[in-house]
Amino acid sequence: MSISQIGVFVENHPGHVARVLDAFVEAEVQVRGYCMSDTGDYGIVRFVVDNPEKAKQVLADMGCAVVAKEVLCLRLPDRPGELARIMGVFAKLNINVEYSYSLVSTYIAISVKDLAAAEEALKKETVELIDQAQLTALVDLDRSNAQEGR
Amino acid sequence: MADMTVKGAALKAAAEGRFDELPIHNPSIECASRERIEAIQLARLIDQVEWTYNRVAWYRDKMDAMGVKPSDIKTLADVRKLPFTDKNALRETFPYGLFAESLDDIVELHASSGTTGKPIVVGYDRGDMDLWADCIMRLVQMAGVVPSDRVQMAFGYGMFTGGFGLHYGLQRLGCMMIPAGSGNTERQIQMIQDYGSTVLVATPSYAMHVCEVGEKMGVDWEKSTLRIGLFGGEPCTPALKAEIESRMHIVCTDNYGLTEVMGPGVSGECLASRDMQHIAEDHFLWEVVDPKTGEPVPDGEEGELVLTPLGKHAIPVLRYRTHDLTRVVKEKCACGRTTARMQKVRSRCDDMLIIRGTNVFPSQVEDVLSTIEGVTPHYRIVVDNETGLDRMVVHVELKPEAFSDSFEEMDAFRRMIEEKLKSVMLVASKVKLVEPGGIERSIGKTKHVQDLRI
Repeated sequence: MSISQIGVFVENHPGHVARVLDAFVEAEVQVRGYCMSDTGDYGIVRFVVDNPEKAKQVLADMGCAVVAKEVLCLRLPDRPGELARIMGVFAKLNINVEYSYSLVSTYIAISVKDLAAAEEALKKETVELIDQAQLTALVDLDRSNAQEGR
Repeated sequence: MADMTVKGAALKAAAEGRFDELPIHNPSIECASRERIEAIQLARLIDQVEWTYNRVAWYRDKMDAMGVKPSDIKTLADVRKLPFTDKNALRETFPYGLFAESLDDIVELHASSGTTGKPIVVGYDRGDMDLWADCIMRLVQMAGVVPSDRVQMAFGYGMFTGGFGLHYGLQRLGCMMIPAGSGNTERQIQMIQDYGSTVLVATPSYAMHVCEVGEKMGVDWEKSTLRIGLFGGEPCTPALKAEIESRMHIVCTDNYGLTEVMGPGVSGECLASRDMQHIAEDHFLWEVVDPKTGEPVPDGEEGELVLTPLGKHAIPVLRYRTHDLTRVVKEKCACGRTTARMQKVRSRCDDMLIIRGTNVFPSQVEDVLSTIEGVTPHYRIVVDNETGLDRMVVHVELKPEAFSDSFEEMDAFRRMIEEKLKSVMLVASKVKLVEPGGIERSIGKTKHVQDLRI
């Protein structure tokens, strides 16, 4: 159980990320989480979106260097110690977290080398793993809420 | 007469027009009448063409095809009957195809970076080494170097002609050579202080770096033993030179030369006309031609410098196209010398760049990129010297399929390109990865190079 993360090669100049996001708006792709950091002249901006296939296609059509990667998605209860607990699970089993970032609400994305092993490790824990369909459904729920004015 | 070994004395003498107090290495040549210079040149040209024709098949074939015999050379103007030589000739005949002598007679080999991986190789016999030393002794004395000087060589040695070329000439003059080699700036400064170096041989950008690092270390350059800077390897702007002179309290001159005809020492700067350099005319026959037609330009006008070494026997190139643009004047100089002077080279009629003393051709970058999967052939080279040292950044366009989600992998990919570029260009550059399509495509001649140095 995993979600598809979209990584884009972006130069460190004003407007380069905005261009990617404008394309998402145009294609009605909704961003549920993202991660960028100060890696120098260029970086890899990672997105979690409702429709990864479409997002990838849109960026590829623009000529961007883009790559999809499976990452874990966890829904954590919003209370102190939850993130520490999850990281503790990985630490105990010597599973290295390559990078991780939070999405909307208390969803977090975690990249590890061996997805299956990490998933197996989490099975024994009380934590909610999310797949792409659930993540997309979350967006749909948001949309219907918005339409109903709630 | 003032003691020229006192710091500042040479510049002061020059400013006051007391040029007779400055040394001239070989007045019988350097101050000879034009008639005498031309008579020497003609006699040597005739010998040189005969030597070349008889010993180098490449030239004999060329001249036969053009219907020219050595006996057709009767005046200096007859040089125009001879074929031109360019870098390609040296590359095609790599390594020894243009040598006119048995390798047993060669006593030294040097090389400069070529445009496609293969370097340009040149050899010298004993006589050539003497000729080279003679050229060096002339130009260093133009700056006021005397036999009692202690010379710190901050050029790299190795295959590059600058290091050993100047080393031998300065040693022949009687100077104490301190072969520091390039790099390790703090150690260089320590050596200047420990050994009492009076002359620093360096690229101007490196001299500026030494100056700045020394200032940070608390060195008072005015009190330093250093008196003279001998520059080479890269063009030096008058502004940079003036700044180094005032901050380090030294006098700096630079010289011109290229590996294909010898190395440093073809011409040198005197303290009377600092933008013009005296050509060692008895050793080099010069022409200035229209780079497009190869025809001579009117006297004193700018064109491409073409050089024929006279009396150089190991590799006797004829009419070497330097691609350097200059103009040459023959009027007697205020310093007392009568040898023709060429204006300092500021531009070229090809796209060669000089980075920290190393010749770099954009085509080398193209060649390297064409061997790497995952990048497009589009690139841009940006050169600056903001930090005092030349810095070259190569913008390389990533192909979408080469992109991975791992920053570590991307950085390793970038460093791999840097390594490959360095192995061909022999000078380090920084690679900057840019997005696919990120390098501007232009119609017609693509501008690959942005040179932000002054």
